[in-house]
Formats: sequence, C-alpha cells, structure tokens
Amino acid sequence: MTWPGHRLAAILFVSVVAAWIAVMAVLMRKAALPPEATGPMLVVFEPGTAEDRIFASIVSAGAKPVRATAFGFIWVVAGDAPGQAGRLTAQGALGAYAELPLSPTIAGCFALADAKVSAMISPGL
Amino acid sequence: MTTTAASPRPWYFNPGVIIVAGCLIAMVNFGMRSSFGLFTAPISEAHAWPREYFSFAMALQNLLWGLATPIAGAFADRYGAARVLMAGALLYAAGTVVIAMAETPTVLQLGGGVVVGIGIAASSFAIVMAAFGRMVPPEKRSWAFGIATAASSMGQFIFAPLAGALISAYGWYPALLILAATTLPIIIFAVPFMAQNTAGNKVPAGEIDISMRQAIAMAFGHRSYILLIAGFFVCGFHLSFILVHLPPYLADHGISKEFAGLALGAVGLFNVAGSYVSGIVGGKYGKRLPLSLIYLLRSIAIAAFVLIPLSTVSTLIFTAVIGLLWLSTVPLTMGLVTIMFGTRYMATLYGFVFVSHQVGAFLGVWLGGRLYDQFGSYDPVWWLAVALGLFAALVHLPIREAPAPRFVAAPA
Repeated sequence: MTWPGHRLAAILFVSVVAAWIAVMAVLMRKAALPPEATGPMLVVFEPGTAEDRIFASIVSAGAKPVRATAFGFIWVVAGDAPGQAGRLTAQGALGAYAELPLSPTIAGCFALADAKVSAMISPGL
Repeated sequence: MTTTAASPRPWYFNPGVIIVAGCLIAMVNFGMRSSFGLFTAPISEAHAWPREYFSFAMALQNLLWGLATPIAGAFADRYGAARVLMAGALLYAAGTVVIAMAETPTVLQLGGGVVVGIGIAASSFAIVMAAFGRMVPPEKRSWAFGIATAASSMGQFIFAPLAGALISAYGWYPALLILAATTLPIIIFAVPFMAQNTAGNKVPAGEIDISMRQAIAMAFGHRSYILLIAGFFVCGFHLSFILVHLPPYLADHGISKEFAGLALGAVGLFNVAGSYVSGIVGGKYGKRLPLSLIYLLRSIAIAAFVLIPLSTVSTLIFTAVIGLLWLSTVPLTMGLVTIMFGTRYMATLYGFVFVSHQVGAFLGVWLGGRLYDQFGSYDPVWWLAVALGLFAALVHLPIREAPAPRFVAAPA
C-alpha cells in the first residue's frame, strides 16, 4: 500500500478552505439585511473612504456609530428607526449585515467580499 | 476443485481515504467545540439566565472531555476506533441538541456538559490518531499525527466564523441544530476505520501479550511516561491561559477586543502550519528534543512578549509564534507514547497523558483569574507560564525515546 504525503495534505486543506469560503458566502448573503431593517448592524463602505465621510453618512442615515473595526471602512452601528439599512446604502454604504457574534473585523472581511460580489452581480441595485 | 477469489478491498480502505476521513473527523470534532462560546450570550439572554450557567456547562464539558478520553481510548483499543467514533458523534450531536432545547440549567449542564463532553472525547482526534498509529506504517506515522493535529487546528479556525455566520443568518436556535447535524457525518467518516476494527484482539508484531490493566500499571511505572505526563500538563496550562486571558490582558493595555479576536485568529492559522511541520520534524529528527525545544521557545516567546512594550505589532508577532508552537506538541507527544508502548493500547495510554493536559488547562484558566485578582496584574501568571515552559523543556530531556523495556517481546 502506498501512503499519501504532502500533496494530499495540500489538496485537502485547499479544498476545505474553498468549501468554507463557499459556505460563508452563502451565509453572508443570508445575513445581508433588507432596506427596511433596523437595529445593530455591520455596515461596509468602499475601502479607502475617509473616516469623516463614513461618520457623516452614518449620522445622515439616522444611525448611531458604535465602533469602527480594525478596517476603518467597516463600522458597527445602532439605531431603531425602520429603514436604517436602506438609508445607509443610499448614503453610500456597500451593504448592511446582521451583526455577527464574533470579531467584527473578521465578519467585516466576509461582509466586504459579499458586498463587492453582490454589487458586481446586480450593479443596478 | 473450487477456488475462492479474495474479495477486493473496499475503496474506502484506501490509505488516502483513511487519512482524509480522519482529518475531517478531527476538523469537525475540534471545530464544533470551539464554537460553543458564541452561544453564551444568546442562550443566557433567551432564558434570562446568568452567564454562569452556560459557563459551568462548558467547564463541565472540558472536565468530562479530559476524564472520558482514556475511557474512550480503552474502548477504541478493545473494540476498534470506528465504533467509538460513531458512538461519540451520536453523543456529540444529541448533547448539542439538548443545549438548544434545554429549559433548565440542570438539563443544559447535563447535555452541554456531560453528554457533549463524553461525545467530544469519543470522537476526538486522539482516537483518530490512535487508529492512524495502528494503520499507518511507522515511517509515515509522525506525518499522519501531524496532519490530524493540523486538521483539528483548521477546524478551530473555520468553525468559529461559520457558527457566527449561522447565528447571524438564522438565529442561535437553528444555528445550534445545524451545528449538531454537522457532527453526524463523523459516522460516515469513521467507516474507513473499520479496516482495523479487530486490532484490539491482536498482538502487534514485537509487542508482548499483556492485558490493558497490566499495560496501564506498567506504563505508570515507566519514568519516561511520567515525565511526558508532567510536560503535557504545561501544554494545557499555556494554551488555556493564553486563550482565555490574552484578550483581557490586551484590553488592560488599551488594545481593543476586536484586535484581540484577530490576534487569536492568527494563533489558529499559524497553529495549522506548526502542527503539520511538527509531525514532519518528529518523523525525521525524533520527538524528545523537538518537544523540549517547543517548550523552551514558548518560554522565550512569552518572556519577550511581557518584556517588550506592548503594541499591536508585538501582539501579532507573539500570537504568530505561539500559534506555530500551539498544538505542535501533540504529534510529538503521541509519537512518544507509540514508541514507548507500541500501538495496541496507545489510545488508552495517550488518554491518561491528555488528562494531565486538561488538569493543566483547568489551572491555566482558574489560576489566571485567581492570581490576577490577587496581584491586580497578569504579570505573575505570565512569569509562571515562563517558568513552567522551562520546567517542561527540562523534563523532556531525560525521556528515553525507545520502547519501554517491559513492553518489548523477546525475540523468537
């Protein structure tokens, strides 16, 4: 019998990571909030957007900035007025997501990827 | 005259399938348990319970995981790994469902603490590695232990975000039920291990025919085994102390909770590489000295982390280094158990070494908090971790990396 080696290890781990990213993509799409949503949420802006511009967008949308993540373009916000997610998007956010109960920075990475892919698939929305 | 053609070996007994199946078991088993912490807040809030109830269930789970490991190992050695892994998966899933449905703290603690704890032990990577030890040829054994440990580490890395996303997308109750269902494929992944299900009744070549009870008694009379147990205690202490107390330590120094989560993620990522490389190193250069070196490097890394002014950069460097050294002790420790006592009772004998790891883990969490309360700083615990690392580096040096004399069969 020939026992496998590093090649199998590489194939296994790459396949698992690929499957994981695919499942996370599906779950992030599911976690994306509809325009009428309100409450605590993770908001993703275009990378490179100035912090004062992001802050102004959040406030203009009637939401309350809670904290920034390690990436300055992903913020946790709060609020209770209906339609908060839609107003944030209208103010330039790429997307709004239900807050994930783990590091917002890690959650934000997936949220950014989802927002970008979603914008590519349906640019008019 | 009639001739009977030998029935072909099923495809799932192929070496590659066995390794992949074992890695998937390790991934699911270890990954699932690392995601339970995410349910503390939603379950406690849903039932209006203090967080202590859920925390106690998780503490109980860790205790049972440790205590049940040698017992699950004994069953695996006697009846084969496959049946034990399958039973473990069922218990793991059932206990997780009980966590979701528990209406009282007692039910939560029985399900999430006792049942899940036993389920984790019975479907753990220790059982998988013991099966690998019997099935994989000696020259590939250390690599197989390394890949199984790396798979466990990867499970830890991928399951936490997955559980978080599930909670976010569906709510905590469906998320917990979905996670319970993800443990059930372990039953299918365990099928390839049926290939060695009768191994418990056979005496492997070169090993003496003794009972399990005799093997345990003789192992505890072997000095190198005791030293290995003492060393693995330190591993448990380091891991649990850093995992639980690093975020508040960073917060004390003005580093955010978000960054602490990222730093712990780095531990998980580098742990995959460290565990895999450790298996390769153990196969090429022996196990005793690399193990001693790992503990020495941990002490140096911890001392440097405490002495150098704390910053996000120093934290990331520390977590990367400690990640490389995180579970890298496991393939080498398992390898030493196999060298000393052979493969027949390795799940049981590794199980006792693991109990010591869990006692260390308990003390790492508890003493971390206790000493912080007493001194108002984590510094004494960090220095205790440095001292324990040096102790472990030293106790591994006299270990004889050779079969224990009474376990070797006399040449025929």
